Amino acid sequence: MSYLLLIFLPIVLSLLVYFITRNTGSAKYMALGFFVVMLIHSTYLYTQLPESGYMLLGSFLNIKAFDFELVLQVDRLSVIMLLLTSILLILVALSSWTVKKQAAYFSLLIFFSGAIFGVFMSTNFMWFFIFWELTLIPMYFLVGIWGAEGRVYAAVKFFLYTHVASMFILLAFFLIYKQSGTFDMTLIKDAVLVTPALIWWLLFVGFAVKMPLFPFHTWLPDAHVQAPAPVSVLLAGVLLKMGAYAMIRMVILMLPLQAQKYAWVILVLGLLSLLYAGFMALYETHVKKMVAYSSISHMGLVAIAISAISFDSLSAGLYEMIGHAFIISPLFLIAGFLHHKTGSWQMGDMGGIMQKAPYISAIFVLAGLGALGLPATMGFIGEITILISAIETYGTWLIIILLGSMLSAAYLIWTFRRVIYGEMSELVMKTDFTMSKPEFISLVIFAIFIVLFGIYPQPLFDMINQTFSAYTSIGGAL
Amino acid sequence: MNIEIYFLLLLPFVGAVATFIAGKQNKNLAFWFAETIGIILFLLTFYTFITFSEPLSFDFNWFTFGETTLPFGIYIDNLSLVMLLIATGLGALDIHFAHDYMAEEKDQARYYAKILFFIGGMILLVSAKELTGLFVGWEFMGLASYLLISFWHQNTAPADAGVAAFLYTKFGDIFLFASIGLLFYYAGTLDMMKLNQPAVNGMISTSVTHMIAIFIFIAAIGKSGQFPLFPWLMRAMEGPTTVSALIHGATMVNSGIYIVARLFDFYVAAEALIVVAAVAALSAFIGATSALVQDELKKVLAYSTMSHLSLAFIGLGAGSLAAGMTHLVNHAIFKALLFLAAGAVILSAHHVKDLWRLGGLSHKLTLSAIFMGMGVLSLSGIPPFSGFFSKDAVLASTILNPQTYGLISTLTIIAGVLSIAYAGRLWTLIFAGRPRDKELYDKVQTPSKFWIALPLGAMAAATLVLGNYQEELTHFITKKDHIKLHVSWLLPFMMIVLSFLVFLVYYFYNRRPNLREKVSAQPLMKTIRQVLLNGYYIEAMITWFAKNIVVNVVARSISWSEKHIIDGAVNGMIHVSHATFVLFGRTHSAKVSNQAGAMLLGALAIVMIIFIGSVL
Amino acid sequence: MSAFVILFSSALFSFGIHKLSILKSLGMTALAVAGVLAVLGYTTPLNGFSSSSAIQLFEVMVFIVLGAVILSEDENINITQSLFIAAASVLVLESATLLTFVISFEALSIISFILVSNIKDATQAEGAVKMFISGAIATGLIVLGLTLYALEGHSLNEAVNIKAGIFGTLGLWVMLMGLFYKLTIVPMHSWAADSYAQVRPSHAAILSGVAKTVVVIATFYIFSPFILENLSFNTPILVVLSVATMTLGNVLALFQKKIGKILSYSSIAHAGYMLLAFAAVQSSYASTGLLYIAIAYIFMQTALFLLLDKLSNGASDMTLEDFKGLADKDKFSALFFTIQLFSLAGIPLLAGFISKAVLVYAVVDADMTIVALIALLNSALSVAYYAWIIKHIYFDEANRKNKIASVQKMPLIAQTVLLAGTLYFGVFAYSVFSVTL
Repeated sequence: MSYLLLIFLPIVLSLLVYFITRNTGSAKYMALGFFVVMLIHSTYLYTQLPESGYMLLGSFLNIKAFDFELVLQVDRLSVIMLLLTSILLILVALSSWTVKKQAAYFSLLIFFSGAIFGVFMSTNFMWFFIFWELTLIPMYFLVGIWGAEGRVYAAVKFFLYTHVASMFILLAFFLIYKQSGTFDMTLIKDAVLVTPALIWWLLFVGFAVKMPLFPFHTWLPDAHVQAPAPVSVLLAGVLLKMGAYAMIRMVILMLPLQAQKYAWVILVLGLLSLLYAGFMALYETHVKKMVAYSSISHMGLVAIAISAISFDSLSAGLYEMIGHAFIISPLFLIAGFLHHKTGSWQMGDMGGIMQKAPYISAIFVLAGLGALGLPATMGFIGEITILISAIETYGTWLIIILLGSMLSAAYLIWTFRRVIYGEMSELVMKTDFTMSKPEFISLVIFAIFIVLFGIYPQPLFDMINQTFSAYTSIGGAL
Repeated sequence: MNIEIYFLLLLPFVGAVATFIAGKQNKNLAFWFAETIGIILFLLTFYTFITFSEPLSFDFNWFTFGETTLPFGIYIDNLSLVMLLIATGLGALDIHFAHDYMAEEKDQARYYAKILFFIGGMILLVSAKELTGLFVGWEFMGLASYLLISFWHQNTAPADAGVAAFLYTKFGDIFLFASIGLLFYYAGTLDMMKLNQPAVNGMISTSVTHMIAIFIFIAAIGKSGQFPLFPWLMRAMEGPTTVSALIHGATMVNSGIYIVARLFDFYVAAEALIVVAAVAALSAFIGATSALVQDELKKVLAYSTMSHLSLAFIGLGAGSLAAGMTHLVNHAIFKALLFLAAGAVILSAHHVKDLWRLGGLSHKLTLSAIFMGMGVLSLSGIPPFSGFFSKDAVLASTILNPQTYGLISTLTIIAGVLSIAYAGRLWTLIFAGRPRDKELYDKVQTPSKFWIALPLGAMAAATLVLGNYQEELTHFITKKDHIKLHVSWLLPFMMIVLSFLVFLVYYFYNRRPNLREKVSAQPLMKTIRQVLLNGYYIEAMITWFAKNIVVNVVARSISWSEKHIIDGAVNGMIHVSHATFVLFGRTHSAKVSNQAGAMLLGALAIVMIIFIGSVL
Repeated sequence: MSAFVILFSSALFSFGIHKLSILKSLGMTALAVAGVLAVLGYTTPLNGFSSSSAIQLFEVMVFIVLGAVILSEDENINITQSLFIAAASVLVLESATLLTFVISFEALSIISFILVSNIKDATQAEGAVKMFISGAIATGLIVLGLTLYALEGHSLNEAVNIKAGIFGTLGLWVMLMGLFYKLTIVPMHSWAADSYAQVRPSHAAILSGVAKTVVVIATFYIFSPFILENLSFNTPILVVLSVATMTLGNVLALFQKKIGKILSYSSIAHAGYMLLAFAAVQSSYASTGLLYIAIAYIFMQTALFLLLDKLSNGASDMTLEDFKGLADKDKFSALFFTIQLFSLAGIPLLAGFISKAVLVYAVVDADMTIVALIALLNSALSVAYYAWIIKHIYFDEANRKNKIASVQKMPLIAQTVLLAGTLYFGVFAYSVFSVTL
């Protein structure tokens, strides 16, 4: 029952939090407290997990006629996602410390936290879908109300685009139910389905939009750019991961045979995303858009890892997902911060920020180096593991991945040059770059994560490896 | 377990952090932290050297992902040890020298922290057992050089130079990265000792090993500034001169040669040495000729680095590990000497680097002039300085190897003898003759003996003394008895040409400056000079390609398609739906009669369909 | 005793006390008693009427919604009308033969006409007139169909004979066409687009929220055996009508400026979804899906029109411009409006989502995957205009010229009741799945 509360309490209470804290400004403390509790809870869950398979946390609201039962089950993969989510939520709460209209903002964050926990905890397709869609609502408002100048367009586009994609997912779930008589994702396999290929394609399109993969990515640059910086972190760190998470589940657990057959589709789209978004980032002069395209480019790497479908590659992919969350977040935060302070998005208006805000600039550079895959950052570990595992599966020609690496070096170093280094622009000279303490602390924590797990990734890999070896033992596609 | 090795590997990084923190508290602490750590590092290396009997090898695993484990072992043998001695020894001297050179710099903490990080990267690189560890050190140095070259990031030129350094070397790096992936796949190991064994590299088809060897060599090209990835080396002169000394003498550029030397047997098996020799010969020629006309003190040295590293590569490429490596060692020392001496001149001359404004400084900077002169002699290959022996060996090896005999050896000899011309020109323009810029000359101060002259003297002594120990050095590196490469006509030939060139330079630059002006006013000479001055326009070509092809054609067209096709399709949905809206809206009339009529007609039509349908 | 008797008599009685303030409480009490009676299983004590657990559930929902309508209503005449509507709804829902169905349907129509004839301005008059004329045509069609059906010798006083001949089939189809008028199915939709937007929003709430769902449920129960009998022939027509209706409704709602107009087109689109249940009648989920969407819809649509009525103070010309910055002026109304809109859009945890999901699953179950996809994409398309309204409510700055009336306490309580329904049926689907026809 307490796990049910973990999902529904935030959803229900978010409204209450809003009306309680409307006039007091204590919403942020409540939200932070909430997220800390969630982190503790997920950590506890992790310690309780069995060696392999699922841990049932309870099932509710059973409707036999439609198999419409809220089953809460977790395995290692989902708990890793829960941990990642709750850590990011805490950091997001910290970095939103000085946001306007706090009560509403943090209530929406709390609402989001419930929905996202639901996504990772439920194994019934219908409820999975319910939570999957529910995450859109707070995001729509967070982007639409607190966003930058193009927020309305971005929010509506994001909402509509991802919602349309979800319809394909829903249809696939319906087909699964029709053909197998169950909505339980732990029971689905290719063999019990009549038209697995159709279902695969429907699901793939739905998840590809969320990840996002070329050519379904265009909602992302708009949404990420217009969203307030902490919300961009949520979008990149959590929302995109939903797509990758679902993709992993589909590929190895639900439709392994189809996945083998159509792995090349994921591979090709992953490669295209990697390079296409890399070139986009190279041409971009808008700071946050550059980061957004870099984010797409890295999700392309994740897709390549997933497409290789091996124990190694999935571990690498999951690591890269986590690494991407920690690396891209400070980039978004700082890009948003710079815009907030200078009022400009253009790299041309900036320059020499290192002289005014050395520590913030240093974290930007560190995260950027992480994104371009410098050793001793999480980005490198992700890149090398994906490279090795992709070559393992597909052979020599996959070294083409490194073209993406070159591109990311080019656009990031060039961005550093234009934004951080060089002579101070007039705009920078007259801008004051003081940052509130909690915001800075969250940046530092991100930086520590990037370096810590970049030098010593083994603890993370222990968790990840166990996840996928567990799948091997229950007959996943590995 | 050898505790000193751990210290050696970790101290630079820990020390960098400590230096930074200490330096933030008190400006002066940074130097003393760095100096102490630098000396400790050298002492540790030296201790390892004197207690060294057989290669030290430690196996570690970095991490396991899936079923694959990435190793991160330490392996220190003779080759590594020599590199370590260079890195820590020259590094310590460089830090010592920086006390005065960087005295005016406000941000001491950042400078020394980065220097230590740089040295740490080199130590890691040469102590790595597997390519993974090597790659980590390799990238660390790329980063450190980027940060140090653009140390004065508030100015445009150093900031740009940093970008160039990072991107040129990164271009090479991705090939090294690729070869790690490929070797893991084909050889199943990244251990460089194993890769050298025929049992391992024989398993793989030669075409694959050849490709991998070329890939690794591309990375080496990037790091060691060979054709065509050398322009960053010249741009890097924007950084502090101490940093240039570190890059060119102690650390970074040596790594490219080191990796080829480390995988020498692999290269032999891959039949890739000839490629190394060919590219290097071309680079040697480009470097040597371009060095002849540079106006800026440090640029002459930069081109000479390029040319001399090429000589080392040629030595390796011609199949002589001994020739290549000894030349690398000798070059490291005299090049660090030359750079620091140049630094002394620049410091004394208030950061004037233009050769045409210097001149006649030997009266004021006697010590520097002497030490730099020794460096020049060593570089030019004049006995008994160490440079002579190794250069001679390289030239001999190209002549003796039938594969390289011909074009490659000719280019090599030209590059070899030209070094006296540009180095002599450099020395002459700085120290000989009468001062050209009187005002500047008056302001020149004699530098401190302890902080400036001492490191110069130490290096000058080293380059002189090492000349006597070439046999031992060779033996130590190759672990074999040295087979003396000997070409009987080479020495007399070299001596004659060198003397001629010395005379020419002296006459041309010192005795008859107006003749020089006349010659250089010739249109043909002017063109040649422009080409050489710009390093054969290689940088311009690469920049043009990157800017116009990659960015303005590829990236721009992708950006266009994003806007007009991919996202255009999404936004087009708005127009489509609006058009549909208008279209459907026509069916809707607000008039009651129309509505009623339409309703009736519609209902009747459907009923008709049903009627016909049910009759059929 | 039965729900109908209680409601009808209290409606008549309310004429007598229509000046007194206890009228509201009387209406509420009558609805409550009627609800209890319905749950206890009392059916209208006349021939040709019967009930089932599904009908009982739906009746109760109608009573709750009408109770909310009465609660937020301040014109006594409308309370009386609501009671009449409730009574007629009971009749329509419980009718089991063609004859009783047609009679009760006409009764409902007449009451609707009376309802909308409470006219305040010219626009509302136009809306009412459009409704009258279209209604007249529809009645004509129904009678024509009935006659054709009777011509073949079928008895009207029993359930539909599924073995009808050519004329019988034709007659039934003509009747369906007439009924589709009330359901606002293309091409019989155009009156609704105007009328719903032009009459007073609180009337539109009853027309589009209550009357429509009651008719659709009753029509399904009467005609589904007939449709099931000749699937290969009936399904394509129904599918085409359904797809046309939802697409047209959604597309035309996209760029409208008036809130009422958007809601009326969305109402048409929802009629399209509901018609899917007729098309997918072979699936056992069809009836559940239809019942579910009807229940969800009655809550959502009534709530929206009622709130619109309060915000616009009875006027029917509220535009999106007026809604700008509503969230800053009236937090609660903004929230109610938004949640109900999300429900209409099919956002999860709200009744609108699950009802649509079950309905679309029925279509998938009937092996019409493409139709299901079209329906889903239509639903996604509809998010565009719902999100656009919400954009005006939350993302835009308030405009000084906005003519937003403040909402009193009573209507807010009514809204809370309706919201509770939307939320309850969004999570606890059990209550709908447990009832049967």
